[in-house]
Amino acid sequence: MINKKYKGIEKKQARWGFIFVLPAMLFFSLFSFYPIINAFYTSFFDKRALSKAPPNFVGLGNYKYLFDLDRAASALSFYNSLRATLVFTLGTFIPLLILSLLFAVLISNLSSNKAKKFLQISYYCPAILSSVVAATIWMIIFDPRGLGNQWVNALLRTPGIDRRWLVDPVMQQVSTMVIYFWKYIGYFVILFITGLASIPPTIYEASTIDGATKNQVFWRITLPLLKPTVVLVSVMAMLQCLKTFSTQYMLYTNGAPRAPINVITFNIYVTGIQQQRLGRASAMSVVLFVMMLLLTLFQFKTTKSEQVEY
Amino acid sequence: MQIEKRITLPKTISYVALLVMLTFTLMPIIFMLTASMMTSRQILRMPFNWIPEQFAYQNFIKAVQGNDQNYIFVRNISNSLIVSSSVAITTVLIASLTGYGLAKFRFRGRNFIFMSIMATMMIPFEAIMIPLYMVVMMLRIQNTYVGLILPFLVSAFGVFQMRQYLTTFPAEFLDAARVDGMGEFGIYAKIVLPNCKPVIATLSILSFRSQWDNLLWPLLVSQSDKMKTIPQYISSFAQERNTDEGAMMAAALLASIPMFILFMSLTKYFIGGSSVYESRKG
Repeated sequence: MINKKYKGIEKKQARWGFIFVLPAMLFFSLFSFYPIINAFYTSFFDKRALSKAPPNFVGLGNYKYLFDLDRAASALSFYNSLRATLVFTLGTFIPLLILSLLFAVLISNLSSNKAKKFLQISYYCPAILSSVVAATIWMIIFDPRGLGNQWVNALLRTPGIDRRWLVDPVMQQVSTMVIYFWKYIGYFVILFITGLASIPPTIYEASTIDGATKNQVFWRITLPLLKPTVVLVSVMAMLQCLKTFSTQYMLYTNGAPRAPINVITFNIYVTGIQQQRLGRASAMSVVLFVMMLLLTLFQFKTTKSEQVEY
Repeated sequence: MQIEKRITLPKTISYVALLVMLTFTLMPIIFMLTASMMTSRQILRMPFNWIPEQFAYQNFIKAVQGNDQNYIFVRNISNSLIVSSSVAITTVLIASLTGYGLAKFRFRGRNFIFMSIMATMMIPFEAIMIPLYMVVMMLRIQNTYVGLILPFLVSAFGVFQMRQYLTTFPAEFLDAARVDGMGEFGIYAKIVLPNCKPVIATLSILSFRSQWDNLLWPLLVSQSDKMKTIPQYISSFAQERNTDEGAMMAAALLASIPMFILFMSLTKYFIGGSSVYESRKG
């Protein structure tokens, strides 16, 4: 290494490495770091898109407006958006997590490889459709005369009842959860199947020799060893649910009331783009960013401290 | 993972559960297929009959003609194809270039650069779309392909994937090529790139479909009908024709065909592609 000639080559190499990395560095500075700093900056101003005058500095005014307790009761407040996002996230990601784990275990236990592959591909099919298409299909299923009512009434033996899928505030939220769940279940099932496949079979063999029952095997061996995948999938699903937009947008533009499904991203869109209040929308963006940042840091912390050794 | 199975009752329960889930995932897709051939009255008949009485081809004509009978559907689906393919191509090119630089060259600040790029994964697009929208307005690139593509030229996750893949790439090949007098760009284009085919496939599919599915950004950038993408088309078509369910389903079906073709021909990479998230652990 001390050889002079060698050092020259290393320098040259370093320069080439830098050249290769340069385009991405420029891109991320301009389209990730600059915008997030700009969002913080703009959130302190009363910026409107159409006005030419320089925006007024309002300090924490935008945040005060968002978290104003007097406005908390109004239907389209930011509190309502936080509530809608939280309800949607919990209501979607908990069933997604539990059922995708369950179905991954069921599929992995099948003996026929063909059946395994067929089920994986079939469960995955909805993920190929775009969110807009998924919402369109389900909007017709949720029509008062549609398949949704027919199926639910057939299952519950309650003929002729309209569940008001797209009209009732509670049912409307359930509908968005069903659509989202339907679209992503296959995706998460496959993530868990990959996680299950990485557990070495020798552990299972050892446990059966020791006389463990199937239940014991699942709770004492599979689940603890699957912990990294569980953490990863749950945080990923949660982050995705926090960003949901298309489903809510589609339902709203087709006549559903806005308040129950006015999630944060939708509120940012309406406030920033339709009402042109960029400062206030930026403040909402910052809140969303901080929420997701905390979640991601939580993920890093848990995955690091809980390294599983096989 | 072969475990001996002795109990039979839970087995039947598990089969039933698997079948119920299969019905749940596939029914809406089959519904879209048959409903696209039905008249609205037949779609909303109680009880629903799964077999179309006759082929209502008018649905497809209406879907392609669009709200104003100007066949804007063709333009909009081409826009989506152009934007999604461009994003797939630029992502693969820039991500592989960066991943190669980070994996196989030593230079000062390398780790810092890598960590900064990884840090951008924590910035959700939804949180920076308002500043990006202001940039688009400032540069006056609303209603252009550049405006639609620019924020998605490369993804941090793509860089990560490429770097992970190339770290294990044997350096002897590169050195041998250098000894033979090949230039650095030549090595990248002729040796590195052809050897990352599996990552290129998963990465391009991932970026293609994320743009094919993107509704939010085009809503901000494309206001003119000509520059709208296919999710926007479906959305406004469904708004205008919300009593013509047959035509809505025909439009939805037509918009899904490209993804279905891609899925059928490259299933392996779709399903393998979601499992690469696993490598984040490492």
